[in-house]
Amino acid sequence: MTPVWMEGLETLCKCRHSFEKTGITWGLFLSPESLSGAVKRLYNADFFLEDISGLDSANGLVAVYHLSAYSSPDRVALYVIAPQDDPQIPSISAVYSGARWHERETSDFFGIQFTGHPDPKPLLLPEEMTDHPLVKEEKSRLSLSDLLDRGEIVERAPDFLHFEVTDSPAPESEPVGQGPKTPDGES
Amino acid sequence: MKESSESREFSNEYSDFSADVEGEQTLVINMGPQHPSTHGVLRVVLVLDGEYIVSATPVIGYLHRMHEKMAEIRTSVQYMPNMGRVDYLNPLGWNWAYVGALERLAGIEVPERAEFIRVITGELNRISSHLVWFGAYILDLGAFTPIMYAFEDREKILDLLQPISGSRLTYSFFRPGGVARDVTGSFLKDTLAFVKYMRGRLPMYRDLVTDNIIFRKRCEGVGVLSLEMCQRYGATGPVIRGSNRPYDIRKAEPYSIYDRFDYHIPVDEKGDAMGRYRVRMAELAESLNIIEQAVNQIPEGAHLVKKAPKPRWKAPKGEVYFAVEGARGKIGVYLISNGDKHPYRVKLRSPGFSNLSLFGELAKGHLLQDAVSILGSLDLVIPEIDR
Repeated sequence: MTPVWMEGLETLCKCRHSFEKTGITWGLFLSPESLSGAVKRLYNADFFLEDISGLDSANGLVAVYHLSAYSSPDRVALYVIAPQDDPQIPSISAVYSGARWHERETSDFFGIQFTGHPDPKPLLLPEEMTDHPLVKEEKSRLSLSDLLDRGEIVERAPDFLHFEVTDSPAPESEPVGQGPKTPDGES
Repeated sequence: MKESSESREFSNEYSDFSADVEGEQTLVINMGPQHPSTHGVLRVVLVLDGEYIVSATPVIGYLHRMHEKMAEIRTSVQYMPNMGRVDYLNPLGWNWAYVGALERLAGIEVPERAEFIRVITGELNRISSHLVWFGAYILDLGAFTPIMYAFEDREKILDLLQPISGSRLTYSFFRPGGVARDVTGSFLKDTLAFVKYMRGRLPMYRDLVTDNIIFRKRCEGVGVLSLEMCQRYGATGPVIRGSNRPYDIRKAEPYSIYDRFDYHIPVDEKGDAMGRYRVRMAELAESLNIIEQAVNQIPEGAHLVKKAPKPRWKAPKGEVYFAVEGARGKIGVYLISNGDKHPYRVKLRSPGFSNLSLFGELAKGHLLQDAVSILGSLDLVIPEIDR
């Protein structure tokens, strides 16, 4: 069922989506460390990078990578969550050269720093600008479980609590409910 | 050369470009932001060794309007007119991507007649966009006449679309659940007449430009783009098809009713500027085929679904991605809604952004004059790149 490139890939959460409903086939939550490994696999499986966008949520800043296959309708969304106060995510520009501009744009809009980027200066906004226009005010940030489709959760790391479990097999985590609303750095 | 600018902002940028590369004397020149062949305000910083390009760095952002922020302060239906302004040459492609995202999110079924109207107007818009590119590209390369012919033909498309959409350039014609206005019998009749007329024009373009030896010498073998580079940069549209990959969203991620029509995806195996030119010219004929079939098959019925979203409509919760094949490549809209009137986040994936990002690598080692030829072959519309 899972595609070849995904076998053995370490993720925080794997969600299967319906392409007809969301336009996405797989949503993978990754730790910053495992991002470049996942991207390399996708590159070798003949995926190309469509875009990188950001998302400001109550659980932290999220970088969203969309990769698409050439041959069939297949879109993979990779999510990497970084804390609001020090958002650092490794750059994937060594694999996808086109990511250089997408990452610069996401830095402009959200202030996410892509470590290892060869030329991390502003792309669309003036260099003297320090604000990040798409960062939301504290009170209007929503949590990821309110924003993202969880689809069908195939696999989930025990410490990944952004989607409170509803229908998938519950791991023995304490049911805190409203607990994990703080931006936690390790995810 | 380096110290000539007194502004700190510029001197910062120039410090990135070494004046001496391996002992050779190089020259830094600016192409743009105001330059006739950059079509809009694009600036390219070129480092030259004699007439050869050592490095080329596009500097963008001069036309940035932050459409993604505007999405968050308008309701999801009120955001429609922005789509016409992202890319003024192919507004219906953007219309389609955005309404497609809302329809996929809310599960709205579009009436069949509306789908046909979308295909007809969308393909007409593709032709008009290609015609502007065609005229402007040849103009960049020094021939003035073809743009007059191209604009004459494009004018006929604008005249067709004006009565039904209400505007000539920045259309905001599609609606979630259909299109804003039904088409009349005379529109369909005129469209068929246009198809016939345009088919008669294509051989003239071939004789005048495609077979012109001066034009071909400027394009053949210039800016050869490998498929591997297309993948690394995410190039789509005629740019990747010019490198021999038949990647077209209409077939790769089928949407609307494109599977009902008989057409094929033109490709070119050369991968040079001429290849990209040939692909676009062949697409003109293919779009005409699609339009003709759609006009002949269009059914009666509603042009808009009964309970079409009103301006204060609340989109259901969720995230959605929708992609269409625009004139320049893959247009994508990524929308996240939290169930409110306003979208929580809208990301616009512009094809020109990815296509331009490969220019620096592609132009390296070419002659300065070829930079114009390569830029034009990428079909840039700067407002769409900057958004």
